[in-house]
Amino acid sequence: MLTRRQLLARSPLVALAPTLSGFRPYFGRVKEGRVLVVLQLDGGNDGLNTVVPHKDELYCKFRPKLALASDKVLTIDDTLAFHPSLTGFARLLERGELAILQGAGYPNPNRSHDVSQLVWQTARLEREEHKGHGWLGRAFDAAPELPRGVPTFVLAGNEPAPQAVFARRAACATMNTLDEYAEADFGSLEGPRVDDSTEEFVRRTAREAESTVRRMQTLTRAKGSAKYPASELARRLQLVARLLKAGLETPVYYVIQGGYDTHNLQAEAHARLLFELGNALEAFLADLGASRLAERVLVLVSSEFGRRVEENASIGTDHGSGAPIFLAGPRVAPGLHGSVPRLDDLLDGDVRPTLDFRCVYAAVLERWLSLSSRAVLGGEFAPFDCLRS
Amino acid sequence: MRAVGKSIWAPYAPDASAPWNLRRVVHLHRRAGFGASAEELERDLAEGYEPSLTRFLAGKRTFGVPESFVTTSQLVVDGAIAANDAARLAAWWLWRMLVSPDPLGERLALCWHNHFATSQLKVMDLLAMQRQNESFRRHGRSPFAKLLTSVVNDSALLVWLDAQSNRKEHPNENLGRELMELFTLGVGNYGESDVKEAARALTGLSVTAESRVHFAEKNHDDGEKTILGRTARFDADGLLAHLVAQPATATRLARRLCALFLREELASDALVASLADELRAHELDLGRAVELILRSRLFFSDANLGGVVLGPAQWIVGAVRGLGLVEPAPSTLALSEWCARLGQKLFYPPTVFGWDGGRAWITSGSLLGRARFAQELANGTLSSKAADPLAKLAGSGDLERQLARVFLGDERVSTAPATTREERTKTVARFLASPAAQLG
Repeated sequence: MLTRRQLLARSPLVALAPTLSGFRPYFGRVKEGRVLVVLQLDGGNDGLNTVVPHKDELYCKFRPKLALASDKVLTIDDTLAFHPSLTGFARLLERGELAILQGAGYPNPNRSHDVSQLVWQTARLEREEHKGHGWLGRAFDAAPELPRGVPTFVLAGNEPAPQAVFARRAACATMNTLDEYAEADFGSLEGPRVDDSTEEFVRRTAREAESTVRRMQTLTRAKGSAKYPASELARRLQLVARLLKAGLETPVYYVIQGGYDTHNLQAEAHARLLFELGNALEAFLADLGASRLAERVLVLVSSEFGRRVEENASIGTDHGSGAPIFLAGPRVAPGLHGSVPRLDDLLDGDVRPTLDFRCVYAAVLERWLSLSSRAVLGGEFAPFDCLRS
Repeated sequence: MRAVGKSIWAPYAPDASAPWNLRRVVHLHRRAGFGASAEELERDLAEGYEPSLTRFLAGKRTFGVPESFVTTSQLVVDGAIAANDAARLAAWWLWRMLVSPDPLGERLALCWHNHFATSQLKVMDLLAMQRQNESFRRHGRSPFAKLLTSVVNDSALLVWLDAQSNRKEHPNENLGRELMELFTLGVGNYGESDVKEAARALTGLSVTAESRVHFAEKNHDDGEKTILGRTARFDADGLLAHLVAQPATATRLARRLCALFLREELASDALVASLADELRAHELDLGRAVELILRSRLFFSDANLGGVVLGPAQWIVGAVRGLGLVEPAPSTLALSEWCARLGQKLFYPPTVFGWDGGRAWITSGSLLGRARFAQELANGTLSSKAADPLAKLAGSGDLERQLARVFLGDERVSTAPATTREERTKTVARFLASPAAQLG
């Protein structure tokens, strides 16, 4: 296992590694364009039991029943380690394809799932700004248009489109299986196109569905030979891989893994979730690597909040604040970034976030997608250094 | 001069500018119920507004309602629970939506299912889920305190929100938080310390092995708590009463009821506030508020006709009823499976927030799903018998005109009649998948 120091020692080599031609915008050369996969851990992932400060006495004190033992965890560096189920992440880190961005959050954390998700999805802290467009929606509304019939966003799964992709113009297609896009007949879709009425919203969505169906019919149905574990998350990521392999020009894919709201008997459920997460992501990147697509793909893994430092009476954890963001793919600057939130300086029982997630969004927008971040994020946020230059 | 609050909810009386026409009959059934068959619509149109609305509010529908409705319902639900089969329980509810004498009651039950969004996924107790469902039905029109007390003092919600592990020495905040954020006040109307103190007030509630609620005195924190500025030795009942009395609770309920029956652009803050005032003046009586809305001129105004996305259950049941497929109905198991595929798995709301509803029901994927359902419904795949489910529609002239009458209350559309079975299937499937048919 690589330690943080070894990774740092290797970084000059990393910089010399052959890369694609810098940070080319995805538009203009759509086919070779950059792809962002957003993987949302829904419910609030327990960051403390994901990247574990297992040697910290306070950790063991706050977590008498849920603390993970030093002999079980997977070493990252001298003080931090992965949850024992995150073997997938450990292997990605070893290959230099995983960046761990510690203590991500925002000022005055809100502990409501709903509100905190809206903060992350709109990149706005104020309640009155949460009804508007999402951060990805705003970013791509300002980007050049894609070919007709190509949705800007694809949600792989069956959830409603998340607020993050709500946009004035950029469309989101929801796809659970490819068969769903075999045919469509909605009758006439004519009507006034200018208004923001619900009628026009339904017509517009139907038009999008029709043109996506036509587009999908022209794509070759890439058959996957890659091995994926048997989980819903893996199935969804495999669907994304198939779309990429088929040549769909969609630049952003959104995948949700639910179940992280572990108030009760957390240990087993959390272990299963992380096991699925690590293995599914590893299989996804291996599949894309084999198709020579991985270099184009960046995966952003985040959750609406971490959990309370102290465990509760039901051997679970309540809603908290800061937690790590993960970036995965061959183009990340691998290893640990930022500083570990301190357990001896809590705010209302929660860690104080050490990294504003909007700095990570700024890096993704500016340095990965070559899109301007200022208007999207509603201010200047210095892009966080987490990608290879 | 009339008071503003009164004039907002002034009663509807048919007149030349807002006549009791087919459009309004269809509006009542699709917006507040689950749609209706051609016969039922024509009957209401002929009988007039007052008897139709009174029957609707009272839950005294008879079209397609089996005589044995009550006993059959009991038999089916007992069977589902005995078999521990959640799919059958969902099919039972869908069957009730299809043939109940009280569609409004079922719509309200669905609304409260969404409000208290409790999922069998975690509760894993069908009897408890069904008991909660009966509370939604029994108290769907009661003063809100009755509904809230009934649901909070029942095992489904307590298990869902981990109340049994909320003990004096180590409170679990889940129930306290959701009680404030989701069931009563809404976010922004309480602070973190209120959540912690509410959790203390709720300590001691637990669930027995027989799925009954039990209060364990020794686990209860009997000390003083300060909640929303008031200090007292709150217990669960005291906390609920305190929360019900907050103005924010009335506002939240008013917003929910407005969203249920009115187009979103009509539900202004002022309108919600006036309904909240009405609720507060009458002990948050839900039935009274529902009647106030449904009898209002606003509800039947042109501005409120159409334009609201029908949720999967409403849309599916509406399609079956509208095509007159109630006797024999398609397999209710198949219908409830489709309901889940289109995003609304009954008894399994996706999160504590329930379903987002409204425009969130419509995605390119869900529209394609609705189109496939329409095809299966029209071509007979969902029925047990091989017969053409649309045969009854065949002899009665212009099919598109019939569909537009029943689903849109529109009498103008007229095209050539579809004659062959294949053409009929295609016409019906395309109509049900069309954007207009997603709205009500």
